[in-house]
Amino acid sequence: MDGLSDDVARVSLDLPLRANLSALDNIALIPLYQRHYSAPESTRLAHAMLEELGYAGIALLRDPDMTPAQRFVTKLARALSLKRPRLVIDRPGAMLYDVPYPAFIAQLAAKTETAGTWEIFDFSWNQALYRA
Amino acid sequence: MHFLAASIESLGAKVVGWFTVGYGMFAFLGRAGLLLLEPATWNRATFDVVVKQVYFTAVQILHVFLGYALLISWLIITIILSTARDFGLVEFASEMTIRVLVLELLPFLTALFVALRSGSAINTEVALMQVNNELDALAHCKVPPMQFEFLPRLIGGVVSVVTLAGLAGLLAMLMGYVAIYGANSAGFEPYTQTIAKIFDLKIMAGLIVKCALFGLAVTLIPVTAGLETPKKLFMVPVSVLRGMMRVFFAIVAIEGMSLALKYI
Repeated sequence: MDGLSDDVARVSLDLPLRANLSALDNIALIPLYQRHYSAPESTRLAHAMLEELGYAGIALLRDPDMTPAQRFVTKLARALSLKRPRLVIDRPGAMLYDVPYPAFIAQLAAKTETAGTWEIFDFSWNQALYRA
Repeated sequence: MHFLAASIESLGAKVVGWFTVGYGMFAFLGRAGLLLLEPATWNRATFDVVVKQVYFTAVQILHVFLGYALLISWLIITIILSTARDFGLVEFASEMTIRVLVLELLPFLTALFVALRSGSAINTEVALMQVNNELDALAHCKVPPMQFEFLPRLIGGVVSVVTLAGLAGLLAMLMGYVAIYGANSAGFEPYTQTIAKIFDLKIMAGLIVKCALFGLAVTLIPVTAGLETPKKLFMVPVSVLRGMMRVFFAIVAIEGMSLALKYI
């Protein structure tokens, strides 16, 4: 996975959130530092992203206070904020052990309006979960 | 013979280790310095983080710190005054008070205070960030850790130590006046003359540089020690231990150099 190019946004267990920042601040970092938006505008964009995913309520939670699903959503929102053409979800089972994750990811994908592609990398023995 | 060879090897490894650590630290400082010169660094986001760091390092502890400075100053002034009276040297008490407290002891204690409170926290946080891959995550998101995490801590440390030491010094001078002359204006002229005599440009610049170096030591060393942490959770306490030992030796070395430059 380390060899992936810069046009890939990853959601992975290996790329955690900043533990001392809220979900909102973790997402707002991207427009703030990458696109040099102002702090209020970055926060507004981050909030809009969480709202789009149906998780506006977790905005002020920090990583240790989140459920695995909430943490995943925050990482996904952060990856979507990167606006890269490919989104790779790396071993979702390792991050989403509290929900039936293929359906959960499909629900989230349906809520977002992204131009890029979503790819899931999972273990071959989990293929049956995606057919259900 | 074998013992001798092993001892030389061990000493050599230690010396190489010290040089590696020193090189790493100065290389990091160089990178931070170069980044400071880039206009792009000075954006609103970095400024906000710097302000937050100054708040956590200096403002949040101001009342505790000033109380502690007040107590230490009162004790030292009382000792100096009573000793000066015993030896019939009261006319030197004000100069002694300012030299001992404002120029040496208070900046040193300020650096120790900030090191114990903020330096150890910075070391632990950076070590945990390193172990938990948070820095890799920031790099993946193209959020520069130096600009977002490290540079504001270095600036915050320098600003905080200089300001806290300055405030403690002012407080000590005020206490010194009250202790020596009482709560009246009779001694205002000789006291301000003594202050003017001590604080020439060289001493003033030396004091500011010393405090800035203290501020740099209590933030730069914990950051670099945290970054050296291997990606194993049980190594975090070891990293903090090493970092804080280095901070202590650096503070003592800076104080030692300052004394040597002034008095030898």
